[in-house]
Amino acid sequence: MATATTTAQVSEAEILPEQQTLWSDAWRRLKRNRLALVATIYLVFLIVVALVALVYTPYRMSAVGIAPTYAPPSAAHWFGADSIGRDVLSRLMVGAQVSLIVGVGTQLLVIAVGVPIGLLAGYYRGWLDSVLTFIINVFYGIPDLLVAMIMVFLLGPSLTNIIVAIVVTRWMDMARLMRGQTMSLREREFIEAARASGAKPARILFGHIFPNALGPIIVQATFGVPAAILFEAFLSFLGVGVQPPTPSWGSMASDGISALEYAPHIVLVPSIALSLTLLAFNFLGDGLRDALDPRQKR
Amino acid sequence: MFTRGTLIYVSQRLVLIVFTVLAVSSIVFLGIHRLPGDALFSEHLHGDAYQNLLHHYGLDQPLQTQYWNYVVGVVTRGDLGESLVNRGLKITPIVTRELGVSVTVGLFALVFTVGLGMVLGVFAAVRQNTWVDYLLTTTSVIGYSMPNFVIASLLILVFGIWLQNLTQGAFFYQLGTWTGGIDQLWLPAFALGFPYASIVARLTRASMLEVIRQDYIRTARAKGLRETVIMVRHALRNALIPVITILGPLVMGIITGGVVIENIFGIPGLGKEFAQSILNRDYAIVIGVFTMYAALVGLANLIVDLTYVVIDPRIRY
Repeated sequence: MATATTTAQVSEAEILPEQQTLWSDAWRRLKRNRLALVATIYLVFLIVVALVALVYTPYRMSAVGIAPTYAPPSAAHWFGADSIGRDVLSRLMVGAQVSLIVGVGTQLLVIAVGVPIGLLAGYYRGWLDSVLTFIINVFYGIPDLLVAMIMVFLLGPSLTNIIVAIVVTRWMDMARLMRGQTMSLREREFIEAARASGAKPARILFGHIFPNALGPIIVQATFGVPAAILFEAFLSFLGVGVQPPTPSWGSMASDGISALEYAPHIVLVPSIALSLTLLAFNFLGDGLRDALDPRQKR
Repeated sequence: MFTRGTLIYVSQRLVLIVFTVLAVSSIVFLGIHRLPGDALFSEHLHGDAYQNLLHHYGLDQPLQTQYWNYVVGVVTRGDLGESLVNRGLKITPIVTRELGVSVTVGLFALVFTVGLGMVLGVFAAVRQNTWVDYLLTTTSVIGYSMPNFVIASLLILVFGIWLQNLTQGAFFYQLGTWTGGIDQLWLPAFALGFPYASIVARLTRASMLEVIRQDYIRTARAKGLRETVIMVRHALRNALIPVITILGPLVMGIITGGVVIENIFGIPGLGKEFAQSILNRDYAIVIGVFTMYAALVGLANLIVDLTYVVIDPRIRY
């Protein structure tokens, strides 16, 4: 008798969880993760800085000699000046644009290239899968930085070519992830139902499988952004990246290396900005992974 | 461990490497020769001097002849040609010597990476959820997020400038002394390896945590073995198997990361030459260095695959 009353007392609202979409659910979980939240705030700040730099920088980023050369940080020049007297803060702000464009741009292209390849390989299996997997493995075998350097060298250093070079050497992770996701999703009932109701392969792939794999794709892309930013910094550091006068965090650090003893701020400022940004993206990626796929082990 | 199958596998791979190296150098050769511009022309050349120079490098011949001569030279004599900027300088000896330097630095960084990563990972796992664990886990995320040139600049700043105990930019490659200049190598190796050591530490920690909860570890404890013996002999050995799967990417990362590190520390290796020759537009050296890199990567991957066999007896080729 007692049990019956208890059952009756539990209202229906308590049994049925509030209807939530995947995204609002993920957002709720992400908010609980302190580090990811701090990372998000930092990244929003970075995006704002990059947008502001479109219309306003304290000084013109390529203006030479507006401060004494190697000037240390001061009230007029918060982050000091570089070897030819350019304002480091202004260059840092423009450098944020370059990093974000490279980071986000490559990942959009990587999704555009990797997802269809992964979908095809995972869905059709057989010889197509063998061929595509072989190609993926061949690309894993090439030294990415060296090939990217040669590509930029042959194609000419421009932001577009740098992005292309990074995508060519870095698309495989996304394709492999998508292949795995597709292989497991294609066996599920809802795909079978779609197939039974006569849906064409293109519709199954992009209308059913792709949206269901969106969580892992976003996580993978979030981890891909810092990798791409780092890659661009390497290229610029070695002198084959973004060309002067456009500043990149990598080339700014590289310019300052020879004056490390007298003006360490020229190296430290872009290095710290770069490290913080990479850290933020990695924390955000960790947070998103936990939020979008809570069952997955760390 | 190594069977007849392994031998066949290795020889197949070696043939494949030869073809890859040839293909890679051909692609770069043809790609570079399609670029506009002229590496040799200068207003200081009078009369026939320019023509003679072109003839000396064989650049007055049609592209297919040049390509054929190049391939024949590489295959039969291992001759990668002459530098276009430092005229008359043979490329093969330079590049071979630089390969040695790069391999030394890389191997040292590799040993360092795996060693440090494993030690930290085991420590974090044994002291799970204590401050040691948290400290190490946080450090590893930070380490992974720091580009190696940032770590390198910090190291130079601290050790070279503040503490004054680094022979900055003066790297001596001494084969004679057995240390081979390790006193100068440890900073580059640290900068090169630290990001990867963080990954190794994370992986070791995760797999150690799984392994030390297994029955055979309890059995070892029940036998009364000392904790150190249990951890090193019993646990670590099995915990290593997931870790070695990243050996391939790790070696690749050290090879490519070396390009950046060699340029910062002024190490006269392949990476420095590669970046320099690209900036100097010395096409002949670019092709030569890239060919060497293709061979290095191919061989390194083969060696990594063979280590899997040594560490995990279940893998056979």
